[in-house]
Amino acid sequence: MRVSGTQAPDHKDDAALIARMRAGDQSAMADLYDRYSGVVYGVALRVLANTTAAEDVVQEVFLQLWRNPQAFDAGRGRLAPWLAVISRNRAIDHLRKRAPEEDIDELPISTGIDLEDEAARKLAVEKVRAVLTQLPQDQRKALEMAFFEGMTHTEIAGKTGEPLGTVKTRIRTGLLALRKAFA
Amino acid sequence: MNGHPQYAEALALYALGALDNPQELAELESHLGTCGECRRELEALRADTALLALSAVGPKPPDRTRQRLLNAIAAEPRMPKKAPQPYAVGRLRSRWFSFAPVAVMLMLAVFSILLGFQVRNANRDVRAARAENERMQAELQRANEKLRQAKAVDDLMHAPDAWHVDLVAQHTRPQPQIKTIYSKQQGSLMLTATSLAQLPENKIYELWLLPSDGSAPMPAGMFKADKNGNGWMYHAMQSAGINAKGFAVTIEDARGSETPTPPIVFAPG
Repeated sequence: MRVSGTQAPDHKDDAALIARMRAGDQSAMADLYDRYSGVVYGVALRVLANTTAAEDVVQEVFLQLWRNPQAFDAGRGRLAPWLAVISRNRAIDHLRKRAPEEDIDELPISTGIDLEDEAARKLAVEKVRAVLTQLPQDQRKALEMAFFEGMTHTEIAGKTGEPLGTVKTRIRTGLLALRKAFA
Repeated sequence: MNGHPQYAEALALYALGALDNPQELAELESHLGTCGECRRELEALRADTALLALSAVGPKPPDRTRQRLLNAIAAEPRMPKKAPQPYAVGRLRSRWFSFAPVAVMLMLAVFSILLGFQVRNANRDVRAARAENERMQAELQRANEKLRQAKAVDDLMHAPDAWHVDLVAQHTRPQPQIKTIYSKQQGSLMLTATSLAQLPENKIYELWLLPSDGSAPMPAGMFKADKNGNGWMYHAMQSAGINAKGFAVTIEDARGSETPTPPIVFAPG
Protein backbone atom coordinates (compact mmCIF):
# COMPACT_ATOMS: atom_id res chain seq x y z
CA MET A 1 0.00 0.00 0.00
CA ARG A 2 1.31 3.41 -0.89
CA VAL A 3 0.62 6.59 0.94
CA SER A 4 -1.59 8.91 -1.04
CA GLY A 5 0.31 11.63 -2.80
CA THR A 6 -2.66 13.96 -2.90
CA GLN A 7 -2.97 14.50 0.82
CA ALA A 8 -0.23 15.93 2.93
CA PRO A 9 0.65 13.27 5.50
CA ASP A 10 0.94 14.43 9.08
CA HIS A 11 2.88 13.22 12.08
CA LYS A 12 0.22 10.63 12.86
CA ASP A 13 0.81 9.05 9.48
CA ASP A 14 4.42 8.48 10.38
CA ALA A 15 3.46 7.13 13.78
CA ALA A 16 0.91 4.78 12.19
CA LEU A 17 3.42 3.58 9.60
CA ILE A 18 6.03 2.97 12.27
CA ALA A 19 3.52 1.05 14.40
CA ARG A 20 2.60 -1.13 11.41
CA MET A 21 6.23 -1.63 10.52
CA ARG A 22 6.97 -2.68 14.08
CA ALA A 23 4.17 -5.23 13.82
CA GLY A 24 5.98 -6.74 10.84
CA ASP A 25 3.95 -5.13 8.05
CA GLN A 26 6.24 -5.07 5.03
CA SER A 27 4.00 -2.68 3.09
CA ALA A 28 4.45 -0.09 5.87
CA MET A 29 8.19 -0.42 5.40
CA ALA A 30 7.70 0.17 1.68
CA ASP A 31 5.70 3.31 2.44
CA LEU A 32 8.38 4.62 4.78
CA TYR A 33 10.94 3.94 2.09
CA ASP A 34 8.88 5.84 -0.47
CA ARG A 35 8.63 8.77 1.87
CA TYR A 36 12.19 9.00 3.11
CA SER A 37 14.50 7.19 0.70
CA GLY A 38 15.24 10.56 -0.94
CA VAL A 39 16.51 11.93 2.36
CA VAL A 40 18.66 8.89 3.10
CA TYR A 41 19.99 8.55 -0.44
CA GLY A 42 20.64 12.27 -0.91
CA VAL A 43 22.78 12.46 2.22
CA ALA A 44 24.67 9.24 1.45
CA LEU A 45 25.32 10.32 -2.14
CA ARG A 46 26.61 13.71 -1.02
CA VAL A 47 29.04 12.03 1.38
CA LEU A 48 30.17 9.18 -0.86
CA ALA A 49 29.79 10.69 -4.34
CA ASN A 50 29.16 7.18 -5.58
CA THR A 51 25.70 5.94 -6.50
CA THR A 52 26.40 2.25 -5.83
CA ALA A 53 27.84 2.95 -2.40
CA ALA A 54 24.97 5.34 -1.63
CA GLU A 55 22.46 2.64 -2.59
CA ASP A 56 24.23 0.27 -0.18
CA VAL A 57 23.80 2.82 2.61
CA VAL A 58 20.09 3.17 1.81
CA GLN A 59 19.72 -0.59 1.99
CA GLU A 60 21.65 -0.77 5.23
CA VAL A 61 19.76 2.04 6.98
CA PHE A 62 16.27 0.80 6.11
CA LEU A 63 17.16 -2.81 6.75
CA GLN A 64 18.46 -1.91 10.19
CA LEU A 65 15.23 -0.06 10.89
CA TRP A 66 13.32 -3.15 9.83
CA ARG A 67 15.44 -5.46 11.95
CA ASN A 68 15.42 -3.20 14.98
CA PRO A 69 12.35 -0.95 14.75
CA GLN A 70 12.53 -0.10 18.47
CA ALA A 71 15.75 1.77 17.67
CA PHE A 72 13.72 4.79 16.63
CA ASP A 73 11.97 6.32 19.61
CA ALA A 74 9.17 8.53 18.31
CA GLY A 75 8.90 10.13 21.73
CA ARG A 76 12.37 11.62 21.32
CA GLY A 77 12.20 13.05 17.85
CA ARG A 78 11.00 12.78 14.29
CA LEU A 79 11.91 10.04 11.86
CA ALA A 80 13.26 12.16 9.00
CA PRO A 81 16.03 13.92 10.95
CA TRP A 82 16.91 10.64 12.62
CA LEU A 83 17.23 8.86 9.28
CA ALA A 84 19.24 11.76 7.86
CA VAL A 85 21.80 11.59 10.66
CA ILE A 86 21.94 7.79 10.64
CA SER A 87 22.49 7.89 6.88
CA ARG A 88 25.28 10.42 7.22
CA ASN A 89 26.99 8.35 9.94
CA ARG A 90 26.73 5.13 7.93
CA ALA A 91 28.03 6.89 4.83
CA ILE A 92 31.01 8.25 6.77
CA ASP A 93 31.67 4.72 8.06
CA HIS A 94 31.72 3.55 4.43
CA LEU A 95 33.95 6.45 3.47
CA ARG A 96 36.45 5.60 6.16
CA LYS A 97 35.99 1.85 5.69
CA ARG A 98 35.37 1.31 9.37
CA ALA A 99 32.89 -0.58 11.52
CA PRO A 100 29.90 1.45 12.76
CA GLU A 101 30.99 3.59 15.69
CA GLU A 102 27.67 3.74 17.44
CA ASP A 103 24.63 1.55 17.62
CA ILE A 104 21.70 2.65 15.56
CA ASP A 105 19.62 2.89 18.71
CA GLU A 106 21.82 5.33 20.60
CA LEU A 107 21.10 8.55 18.80
CA PRO A 108 18.40 10.69 20.36
CA ILE A 109 17.69 13.76 18.24
CA SER A 110 15.50 16.48 19.61
CA THR A 111 13.62 18.47 17.00
CA GLY A 112 10.08 19.61 16.50
CA ILE A 113 10.58 20.33 12.82
CA ASP A 114 8.05 18.40 10.77
CA LEU A 115 9.53 16.95 7.60
CA GLU A 116 6.86 14.37 6.88
CA ASP A 117 4.90 16.46 4.46
CA GLU A 118 6.73 16.50 1.13
CA ALA A 119 5.86 20.12 0.44
CA ALA A 120 7.08 21.16 3.88
CA ARG A 121 10.23 19.15 3.32
CA LYS A 122 10.92 20.93 0.05
CA LEU A 123 10.46 24.28 1.74
CA ALA A 124 12.81 23.23 4.53
CA VAL A 125 15.43 22.13 2.00
CA GLU A 126 15.25 25.49 0.23
CA LYS A 127 15.46 27.31 3.54
CA VAL A 128 18.52 25.34 4.68
CA ARG A 129 20.27 26.00 1.37
CA ALA A 130 19.45 29.69 1.65
CA VAL A 131 20.85 29.85 5.17
CA LEU A 132 24.01 28.06 4.06
CA THR A 133 24.59 30.44 1.19
CA GLN A 134 24.28 33.35 3.62
CA LEU A 135 26.93 31.95 5.95
CA PRO A 136 30.48 33.23 5.53
CA GLN A 137 32.25 30.90 3.13
CA ASP A 138 34.83 29.73 5.69
CA GLN A 139 32.10 28.92 8.16
CA ARG A 140 30.05 26.95 5.65
CA LYS A 141 33.13 25.10 4.46
CA ALA A 142 34.12 24.07 8.00
CA LEU A 143 30.59 22.85 8.66
CA GLU A 144 30.44 20.85 5.45
CA MET A 145 33.88 19.35 5.93
CA ALA A 146 32.85 18.11 9.36
CA PHE A 147 29.43 16.83 8.34
CA PHE A 148 29.75 15.60 4.78
CA GLU A 149 33.42 14.66 4.77
CA GLY A 150 33.56 13.34 8.33
CA MET A 151 36.67 15.36 9.14
CA THR A 152 37.64 16.09 12.73
CA HIS A 153 38.31 19.63 13.83
CA THR A 154 42.04 18.90 13.91
CA GLU A 155 41.92 17.64 10.33
CA ILE A 156 39.92 20.69 9.24
CA ALA A 157 42.39 23.02 10.94
CA GLY A 158 45.26 21.17 9.26
CA LYS A 159 43.66 21.41 5.84
CA THR A 160 42.53 25.03 6.06
CA GLY A 161 45.48 26.33 8.04
CA GLU A 162 43.12 27.91 10.55
CA PRO A 163 43.66 27.74 14.33
CA LEU A 164 41.75 24.99 16.12
CA GLY A 165 39.75 27.51 18.12
CA THR A 166 38.61 29.27 14.96
CA VAL A 167 37.42 26.00 13.44
CA LYS A 168 35.51 25.14 16.61
CA THR A 169 33.80 28.50 16.71
CA ARG A 170 32.89 28.38 13.04
CA ILE A 171 31.27 24.98 13.34
CA ARG A 172 29.19 25.87 16.36
CA THR A 173 28.17 29.24 14.98
CA GLY A 174 27.13 27.63 11.71
CA LEU A 175 24.95 25.04 13.43
CA LEU A 176 23.31 27.69 15.58
CA ALA A 177 22.57 29.78 12.50
CA LEU A 178 20.62 26.84 11.08
CA ARG A 179 18.75 26.39 14.35
CA LYS A 180 17.90 30.07 14.51
CA ALA A 181 16.46 30.01 10.99
CA PHE A 182 13.99 27.30 12.01
CA ALA A 183 13.22 28.63 15.49
CA MET B 1 22.90 27.98 25.00
CA ASN B 2 23.07 26.21 28.35
CA GLY B 3 24.54 26.75 31.77
CA HIS B 4 27.93 25.35 30.79
CA PRO B 5 29.33 27.57 28.05
CA GLN B 6 32.77 26.03 28.52
CA TYR B 7 31.46 22.93 26.75
CA ALA B 8 29.51 24.75 24.01
CA GLU B 9 32.01 24.36 21.19
CA ALA B 10 33.10 20.87 22.17
CA LEU B 11 29.43 19.80 22.21
CA ALA B 12 28.92 21.05 18.66
CA LEU B 13 32.00 19.12 17.51
CA TYR B 14 30.86 16.07 19.45
CA ALA B 15 27.45 16.14 17.73
CA LEU B 16 29.30 15.93 14.42
CA GLY B 17 31.77 13.30 15.62
CA ALA B 18 34.47 15.87 14.93
CA LEU B 19 35.97 16.17 18.42
CA ASP B 20 39.25 14.26 18.35
CA ASN B 21 41.19 15.65 21.29
CA PRO B 22 41.25 12.67 23.70
CA GLN B 23 41.40 14.87 26.78
CA GLU B 24 38.52 17.09 25.71
CA LEU B 25 36.57 14.04 24.62
CA ALA B 26 37.03 12.30 27.97
CA GLU B 27 36.13 15.42 29.91
CA LEU B 28 33.02 16.09 27.84
CA GLU B 29 31.79 12.50 28.00
CA SER B 30 32.32 12.48 31.72
CA HIS B 31 30.35 15.72 31.99
CA LEU B 32 27.55 14.41 29.76
CA GLY B 33 27.21 11.49 32.13
CA THR B 34 26.06 13.83 34.86
CA CYS B 35 24.52 16.82 33.07
CA GLY B 36 21.04 16.43 31.61
CA GLU B 37 21.08 20.00 30.32
CA CYS B 38 24.11 19.37 28.14
CA ARG B 39 22.66 16.04 26.95
CA ARG B 40 19.56 17.92 25.79
CA GLU B 41 21.74 20.49 24.06
CA LEU B 42 23.57 17.63 22.33
CA GLU B 43 20.23 16.29 21.06
CA ALA B 44 19.36 19.77 19.77
CA LEU B 45 22.75 20.04 18.05
CA ARG B 46 22.16 16.68 16.38
CA ALA B 47 18.87 18.10 15.10
CA ASP B 48 20.86 21.05 13.73
CA THR B 49 23.12 18.61 11.89
CA ALA B 50 19.98 16.94 10.49
CA LEU B 51 19.00 20.33 9.06
CA LEU B 52 22.41 20.48 7.43
CA ALA B 53 21.71 17.05 5.94
CA LEU B 54 18.62 18.48 4.26
CA SER B 55 20.82 20.54 1.98
CA ALA B 56 21.79 17.27 0.27
CA VAL B 57 18.23 16.04 -0.31
CA GLY B 58 17.29 15.89 -3.95
CA PRO B 59 18.12 12.85 -6.01
CA LYS B 60 15.95 9.77 -5.61
CA PRO B 61 17.52 6.34 -5.49
CA PRO B 62 16.95 4.14 -8.52
CA ASP B 63 13.96 1.81 -8.52
CA ARG B 64 16.18 -1.23 -8.13
CA THR B 65 17.12 -0.03 -4.64
CA ARG B 66 13.49 -0.20 -3.53
CA GLN B 67 13.08 -3.71 -4.92
CA ARG B 68 16.34 -4.80 -3.34
CA LEU B 69 15.13 -3.63 0.06
CA LEU B 70 11.73 -5.23 -0.31
CA ASN B 71 13.36 -8.52 -1.31
CA ALA B 72 15.61 -8.33 1.72
CA ILE B 73 12.84 -7.69 4.23
CA ALA B 74 10.72 -10.39 2.60
CA ALA B 75 13.62 -12.78 3.22
CA GLU B 76 13.60 -12.03 6.92
CA PRO B 77 10.02 -11.50 8.08
CA ARG B 78 9.91 -10.46 11.69
CA MET B 79 6.56 -12.03 12.59
CA PRO B 80 6.43 -15.81 12.99
CA LYS B 81 4.62 -17.43 10.13
CA LYS B 82 1.46 -19.40 10.74
CA ALA B 83 1.92 -23.15 10.79
CA PRO B 84 1.17 -24.62 7.37
CA GLN B 85 -2.18 -26.32 6.93
CA PRO B 86 -1.84 -30.11 6.95
CA TYR B 87 -2.17 -31.67 3.55
CA ALA B 88 -5.03 -34.04 2.84
CA VAL B 89 -4.06 -37.63 3.40
CA GLY B 90 -3.59 -39.44 0.11
CA ARG B 91 -2.39 -36.39 -1.85
CA LEU B 92 0.53 -35.50 0.35
CA ARG B 93 2.83 -38.20 -0.91
CA SER B 94 2.33 -37.65 -4.61
CA ARG B 95 2.53 -33.84 -4.28
CA TRP B 96 5.64 -34.07 -2.17
CA PHE B 97 7.32 -36.29 -4.70
CA SER B 98 6.43 -34.07 -7.61
CA PHE B 99 7.66 -30.93 -5.84
CA ALA B 100 10.54 -32.54 -4.00
CA PRO B 101 13.37 -31.39 -6.31
CA VAL B 102 11.99 -27.84 -6.41
CA ALA B 103 11.48 -27.82 -2.65
CA VAL B 104 15.01 -29.01 -2.05
CA MET B 105 16.39 -26.29 -4.31
CA LEU B 106 14.25 -23.65 -2.62
CA MET B 107 15.37 -24.82 0.80
CA LEU B 108 18.99 -24.71 -0.30
CA ALA B 109 18.52 -21.23 -1.73
CA VAL B 110 16.83 -19.98 1.45
CA PHE B 111 19.50 -21.67 3.53
CA SER B 112 22.23 -19.96 1.48
CA ILE B 113 20.56 -16.58 1.88
CA LEU B 114 20.12 -17.07 5.61
CA LEU B 115 23.70 -18.26 5.93
CA GLY B 116 24.88 -15.22 4.00
CA PHE B 117 22.96 -12.91 6.32
CA GLN B 118 24.28 -14.72 9.37
CA VAL B 119 27.87 -14.44 8.18
CA ARG B 120 27.36 -10.77 7.35
CA ASN B 121 25.72 -10.11 10.71
CA ALA B 122 28.47 -12.01 12.50
CA ASN B 123 31.16 -9.98 10.73
CA ARG B 124 29.39 -6.75 11.59
CA ASP B 125 29.01 -7.84 15.21
CA VAL B 126 32.71 -8.71 15.41
CA ARG B 127 33.68 -5.29 14.00
CA ALA B 128 31.31 -3.52 16.37
CA ALA B 129 32.58 -5.56 19.35
CA ARG B 130 36.18 -4.73 18.41
CA ALA B 131 35.39 -1.03 18.19
CA GLU B 132 33.54 -1.19 21.51
CA ASN B 133 36.47 -3.01 23.09
CA GLU B 134 38.91 -0.34 21.92
CA ARG B 135 36.63 2.37 23.28
CA MET B 136 36.38 0.60 26.66
CA GLN B 137 40.15 0.15 26.80
CA ALA B 138 40.66 3.86 26.18
CA GLU B 139 38.08 4.70 28.84
CA LEU B 140 39.74 2.37 31.33
CA GLN B 141 43.09 3.95 30.60
CA ARG B 142 41.65 7.42 31.24
CA ALA B 143 40.00 6.24 34.46
CA ASN B 144 43.27 4.66 35.64
CA GLU B 145 45.13 7.85 34.93
CA LYS B 146 42.62 9.87 36.95
CA LEU B 147 42.85 7.34 39.78
CA ARG B 148 46.63 7.55 39.70
CA GLN B 149 46.49 11.33 39.95
CA ALA B 150 43.96 11.21 42.79
CA LYS B 151 46.12 8.71 44.68
CA ALA B 152 49.21 10.85 44.15
CA VAL B 153 47.39 13.86 45.64
CA ASP B 154 46.15 11.76 48.55
CA ASP B 155 49.63 10.31 49.18
CA LEU B 156 51.13 13.78 49.17
CA MET B 157 48.52 15.18 51.53
CA HIS B 158 49.10 12.33 54.01
CA ALA B 159 52.83 11.85 53.60
CA PRO B 160 54.51 11.78 57.03
CA ASP B 161 57.07 14.28 55.77
CA ALA B 162 54.57 16.49 53.94
CA TRP B 163 55.70 20.03 54.48
CA HIS B 164 52.82 22.47 54.38
CA VAL B 165 54.13 25.92 53.77
CA ASP B 166 51.93 28.98 53.96
CA LEU B 167 53.33 32.12 52.48
CA VAL B 168 51.97 35.30 53.98
CA ALA B 169 52.88 38.93 53.88
CA GLN B 170 55.97 39.65 55.87
CA HIS B 171 55.68 40.66 59.53
CA THR B 172 52.27 39.00 59.92
CA ARG B 173 51.40 35.79 61.69
CA PRO B 174 49.87 32.99 59.62
CA GLN B 175 46.12 33.04 60.00
CA PRO B 176 44.03 29.88 60.18
CA GLN B 177 42.63 29.35 56.75
CA ILE B 178 40.22 26.89 55.11
CA LYS B 179 39.75 26.41 51.40
CA THR B 180 36.86 24.43 49.89
CA ILE B 181 36.18 23.25 46.35
CA TYR B 182 32.54 22.32 45.76
CA SER B 183 30.93 20.80 42.64
CA LYS B 184 27.17 21.06 42.59
CA GLN B 185 26.88 18.59 39.70
CA GLN B 186 29.07 15.99 41.30
CA GLY B 187 27.62 16.63 44.77
CA SER B 188 31.07 16.50 46.31
CA LEU B 189 33.57 18.83 47.89
CA MET B 190 37.17 18.98 49.00
CA LEU B 191 38.62 20.98 51.85
CA THR B 192 42.14 21.94 52.87
CA ALA B 193 42.98 23.78 56.06
CA THR B 194 46.12 25.35 57.46
CA SER B 195 47.19 26.82 60.79
CA LEU B 196 44.17 25.40 62.57
CA ALA B 197 43.98 25.29 66.35
CA GLN B 198 44.23 21.83 67.89
CA LEU B 199 40.96 20.55 69.35
CA PRO B 200 40.41 18.37 72.42
CA GLU B 201 40.03 14.62 71.72
CA ASN B 202 36.24 14.78 72.09
CA LYS B 203 35.77 17.64 69.61
CA ILE B 204 35.92 17.90 65.83
CA TYR B 205 35.55 20.56 63.13
CA GLU B 206 32.38 20.17 61.05
CA LEU B 207 31.74 21.87 57.72
CA TRP B 208 28.23 23.08 56.80
CA LEU B 209 26.82 23.76 53.36
CA LEU B 210 24.48 26.77 53.39
CA PRO B 211 21.77 26.15 50.75
CA SER B 212 20.97 29.13 48.57
CA ASP B 213 17.22 28.60 49.06
CA GLY B 214 17.62 29.54 52.70
CA SER B 215 16.89 26.08 54.08
CA ALA B 216 18.75 24.64 57.06
CA PRO B 217 22.53 24.18 56.88
CA MET B 218 23.52 20.70 55.69
CA PRO B 219 26.36 18.64 57.22
CA ALA B 220 29.21 18.61 54.72
CA GLY B 221 31.88 16.52 56.46
CA MET B 222 34.14 16.54 59.52
CA PHE B 223 37.86 17.02 59.86
CA LYS B 224 40.61 17.50 62.41
CA ALA B 225 43.90 19.31 62.38
CA ASP B 226 47.10 17.34 62.54
CA LYS B 227 49.92 18.29 64.88
CA ASN B 228 51.00 21.00 62.49
CA GLY B 229 47.53 22.51 62.24
CA ASN B 230 46.81 21.15 58.77
CA GLY B 231 43.61 19.37 57.75
CA TRP B 232 42.22 17.75 54.61
CA MET B 233 38.85 16.25 53.75
CA TYR B 234 36.86 14.91 50.79
CA HIS B 235 33.10 14.62 51.26
CA ALA B 236 30.25 13.36 49.06
CA MET B 237 26.92 15.05 49.74
CA GLN B 238 23.81 12.89 50.01
CA SER B 239 22.69 14.14 46.61
CA ALA B 240 24.01 16.22 43.74
CA GLY B 241 22.53 19.47 42.47
CA ILE B 242 22.35 21.39 45.74
CA ASN B 243 22.84 25.12 45.19
CA ALA B 244 25.12 26.55 47.86
CA LYS B 245 25.46 30.18 48.83
CA GLY B 246 28.34 29.49 51.18
CA PHE B 247 29.97 27.31 53.80
CA ALA B 248 30.63 27.59 57.50
CA VAL B 249 32.57 25.61 60.10
CA THR B 250 31.62 24.90 63.68
CA ILE B 251 33.18 22.84 66.44
CA GLU B 252 31.09 19.80 67.36
CA ASP B 253 31.31 16.69 69.55
CA ALA B 254 33.62 14.08 68.04
CA ARG B 255 30.83 12.05 66.40
CA GLY B 256 29.48 15.12 64.62
CA SER B 257 26.10 16.81 64.63
CA GLU B 258 23.06 17.15 62.36
CA THR B 259 22.68 20.84 63.22
CA PRO B 260 25.42 23.41 63.71
CA THR B 261 26.31 24.39 67.25
CA PRO B 262 27.18 28.09 67.57
CA PRO B 263 29.50 29.83 67.35
CA ILE B 264 30.60 29.68 63.71
CA VAL B 265 34.37 29.53 63.79
CA PHE B 266 34.95 29.88 60.05
CA ALA B 267 32.80 31.63 57.47
CA PRO B 268 33.38 32.93 53.93
CA GLY B 269 35.68 35.91 53.93
